[in-house]
Amino acid sequence: MPVVQARQIRKSFKEGRGEVSVLNGVSLSLDSGEVTALEGPSGSGKTTLLSILGCILTPSSGELVIDGVSVDAKKPNGLPGLRRRSIGFVFQQFNLFPALSALENVEYALNIKGLRGAQARREAQLALEKVGLSDRLGFLPRDLSGGQKQRVAIARAVGGGPKVLLADEPTANLDSQTGLQVLELFRKLAKEENRALLIVTHDPKVRTISDRVVRIQDGRLLN
Amino acid sequence: MVDLARKNLLHDKLRFVITISGVAFAVTLVLVQIGLFLGLLDNATITIEKIPADLWVTSKNTPNVDFAHTFPDSRLQRVRSVPGVELADNLIVQFMNVSLPTGAEESCVVYALEDYRRWGFPWNVVQGDVGDLKRGPYVFLDQSANKRFGAFNVNDYREFRGHRLKIIGTSKDARSFTTTPIAFVDFKLAQELSADLTNRTSYILVKLAPGANLEAVRAEIRRRLPFNDVYTRQEWASRSRNYWITNTGLGLNMFITVFLGCLVGVVVVAQTLYTSTMEHLKEFGTVKAIGGGNSAIYGILTRQATISALVGFVFGAIPSYLVGTLITKADLKLIIPPSLWTGVFVGTVAMCLAASLLSFRKVASIDPALVFRT
Repeated sequence: MPVVQARQIRKSFKEGRGEVSVLNGVSLSLDSGEVTALEGPSGSGKTTLLSILGCILTPSSGELVIDGVSVDAKKPNGLPGLRRRSIGFVFQQFNLFPALSALENVEYALNIKGLRGAQARREAQLALEKVGLSDRLGFLPRDLSGGQKQRVAIARAVGGGPKVLLADEPTANLDSQTGLQVLELFRKLAKEENRALLIVTHDPKVRTISDRVVRIQDGRLLN
Repeated sequence: MVDLARKNLLHDKLRFVITISGVAFAVTLVLVQIGLFLGLLDNATITIEKIPADLWVTSKNTPNVDFAHTFPDSRLQRVRSVPGVELADNLIVQFMNVSLPTGAEESCVVYALEDYRRWGFPWNVVQGDVGDLKRGPYVFLDQSANKRFGAFNVNDYREFRGHRLKIIGTSKDARSFTTTPIAFVDFKLAQELSADLTNRTSYILVKLAPGANLEAVRAEIRRRLPFNDVYTRQEWASRSRNYWITNTGLGLNMFITVFLGCLVGVVVVAQTLYTSTMEHLKEFGTVKAIGGGNSAIYGILTRQATISALVGFVFGAIPSYLVGTLITKADLKLIIPPSLWTGVFVGTVAMCLAASLLSFRKVASIDPALVFRT
């Protein structure tokens, strides 16, 4: 059963007096527990597609259903709620809050998702334990290695149990060995908890942990 | 709930210090300026406030207590016979020159009453007995005269308009708006010191009998003395204060200073909060990406502005309090009543919140997609 269904997604942006078409009718489904790699050259539309699937951008046209909810591009006010409930993000630059410890970074995201107090703290601790950082709870991001930062970001993304995990070049700032460890961890968490995982990447290692590889070029999926 | 606002604010300590300094500077400036202003105004009316008269009879259109015009002292009898008047006395307030032992001359505001004890005036006697003033060519000087007259002691002599008067006592806290020292002499002696004052008085002080109707008594005095004005104590104090505020530019001066203080505070806070917002745009984008709406970010900015206001207020209030204690040594008065503390506190919070509005506009337009940009 697909947890993400995108049909004939088109997206164009205004540039000067004209319009630039970035996505030209992309259709893609992501199933629960499935790991999908999205590859493509720079400027092919990978990040735009990720933003639309993550309800950060709305499509110019097409149909998008996330976790059973149809995304209405004309009602963007409902998107933050959908992101809170159903989507977890992992970014290339980690995007951790530098003033918050590892535990607080995860706990804050849970607070945004509606969990408060001791319950949020407990869930945050559990999420960090799952990624093997139970001994780094009080560390600020500046005191963590790149791999550890990305693991905190993964814990933040999986906290609250979203059905969809979206990762943008999660290994781009990591060395080869650490990148592989992070990917294996990512796959394990997706499989164990039956989440759909889409990884946008240039990194060939991602293929090794993916169930499916999708290529995008000039705003169209190739296979 | 994790306090991202506070943690972010304290994470960049230098910026926080700059923000707090701006707020504290504005708070200190406003508190000290208004406090000094209130101190000056208090000096302007302190004698009115301390004499327990219910009504003041003045000559027509007298602008303030120091700049009195005289009228015949015999009008006192017409006031004393008004039903409801328990006590009425003449009071002279007159500028006089005083020759100092150095050969210099200084100005002095002379207060002259027939019976000082009856009016409990001056209210803060340090040395001597005011009852003795009527016994001869004697004078009481307020201690604040030290600055203008140089050091003096009881039993010293000073020359008032060519008359040698013996200092038989001192008082404390009797001030005038112009900082001219205040002296107290017997009413008859004051009339002898200046030919202009022969059979003249500056004011008639009126104390009502218990249960007397103030407005009825005032109306009757007005009827009997159509060429005089009659004020309640509060009206007279207010008239004296307003004279200095409006006629000397003091009010405008204070307004400008307070405005500039607030402006400095708003600019510093707005600038540092805005710069901080710009530097944390990606973090705010992340908040949006993980599901936080604009309201979550507005909450962060509001909390940061409020924390800046609270801490800045404390750091502004402490030096203001210290200035208040130091300034008394310079013979100045700084009055910060509870209402001023409260008003400045509320104003500080409002100022910081207003300063954060600029950042509100910026974050409202954050595109969460910026989290994907490197």
